[in-house]
Amino acid sequence: MTWISKSTTALGLVLLTHACYSAHEHAALQSYRAASLSSLTTTQSGATSSLPIDIAIETIIATFIVCLGLVSGTSQLRPIQWRVWAGKIEQEGEAGFKNSSGEVEKDFVGNPFRLLESRPGFIDIRKQRREFAAWIKDESAK
Amino acid sequence: MSSSSLLHPPSHLSPATASQLSRQAPSILENSPGAISASVLQSVFSASETQELWTVYENLLLSCLRTHDDESAHLCLGRLVNRFGNDNERIMALKGLLKEATAPDDAALDLVLQEYDQILQVNPVNVPIAKRRAGLLRAMGRTSEAVNALSSLLDMSPTDAEAWAELADLYLAQGLYSQAVFAQEEVLILQPNAWNIHARLGEILLMAAKTSDAPKRLAEALKRFCRSIELCDNYLRGYYGLKLTTQQLLSEPSTRNSKLTESEEWSIPAASTLQKLDTVATEKLAEITRRNLAGEKDWQGYSDAEIAAARELLESHSAATVR
Repeated sequence: MTWISKSTTALGLVLLTHACYSAHEHAALQSYRAASLSSLTTTQSGATSSLPIDIAIETIIATFIVCLGLVSGTSQLRPIQWRVWAGKIEQEGEAGFKNSSGEVEKDFVGNPFRLLESRPGFIDIRKQRREFAAWIKDESAK
Repeated sequence: MSSSSLLHPPSHLSPATASQLSRQAPSILENSPGAISASVLQSVFSASETQELWTVYENLLLSCLRTHDDESAHLCLGRLVNRFGNDNERIMALKGLLKEATAPDDAALDLVLQEYDQILQVNPVNVPIAKRRAGLLRAMGRTSEAVNALSSLLDMSPTDAEAWAELADLYLAQGLYSQAVFAQEEVLILQPNAWNIHARLGEILLMAAKTSDAPKRLAEALKRFCRSIELCDNYLRGYYGLKLTTQQLLSEPSTRNSKLTESEEWSIPAASTLQKLDTVATEKLAEITRRNLAGEKDWQGYSDAEIAAARELLESHSAATVR
């Protein structure tokens, strides 16, 4: 998630918390009024006011902002068609699979069938060592 | 296109990248947790075990063995053994690999081979050890025994695509083209969507067509390369093979006129189709090389060697058509 989406989500959550707290305060105030009214035994109609409309609006807007923040923070969608996905791997390499912070996605494995050609279960380690030693010799001779 | 992170097996890396990776070994070994405790309390306080930690250790081990950094390799193996124990099949194979790599002479290699045989006597279905045994036989130059070892491994588990691929490679190295084609087709049965294996089979068929049975093999190679392009957009290797095949088919009209009494499986397409395929392949190769060499952002996944080979092919083709 990018920092914009994170901050938007955080703002939305703060607003939501504020709205919920306001509603709780309102309910507490209602019950306090009702308790004090009944102790004075007046004949007021005891109309309980409903939740103020601005708290309701704040809740709805807060939810909307949270959704906006979460959706804008999703990573790049990957191709669905096989040939497009395979083409992306071959053509762009790991650069095509970076997430929003610029790092290669953890579950990117490149071409999964590459292992059929490199065959890690059968590696000839002695040959690899010989080739590496030869390469080192070439490099130091240069 | 090779990923240089330690999350992937390092066999295909260039020597420079491999040596760079193995130089990081001491720092990785210091920073990663040495012993993962199984008790709940300790795991709360110490660094947690991630999925990638053990993959990193294994690939680091392979890199270090390749670059002759045997001490770090032993350390990596030690940590793996601490975590997974000595009886784990993969760990046994890695231990055997380490012994193979550090064996001073052929007698030591024979000892390692005998150890593999003993392990297989106790547990004949130890697939990693069976693979290492076949690999060691091939490395020692005993190819017929390696082929036998691979065949018995495949009798045991016929769905192992990697083993079929290794068998195909063994046959190809010996020049037994029909058997190599058969083994590679088995790989494709197991992994039908592997575009690089379709291209590989096309390449094997192109090689085989030079020795015998050219029309049938060239037609089959054409189909394989076309399939690999269907499976992967802008596949350089596929287009390269397609161009080579169409050029060969177009330049030998005698092969086309010969009577093909087989069913239409082996029929070579008409010259106009071949020409169109050739044109498409040339255009695509030109586009890929042009965009890659211009440094366009989305076209840098190809390796330099591939691009150089494609350019050579294009240049030789254009030289041939210049009258």
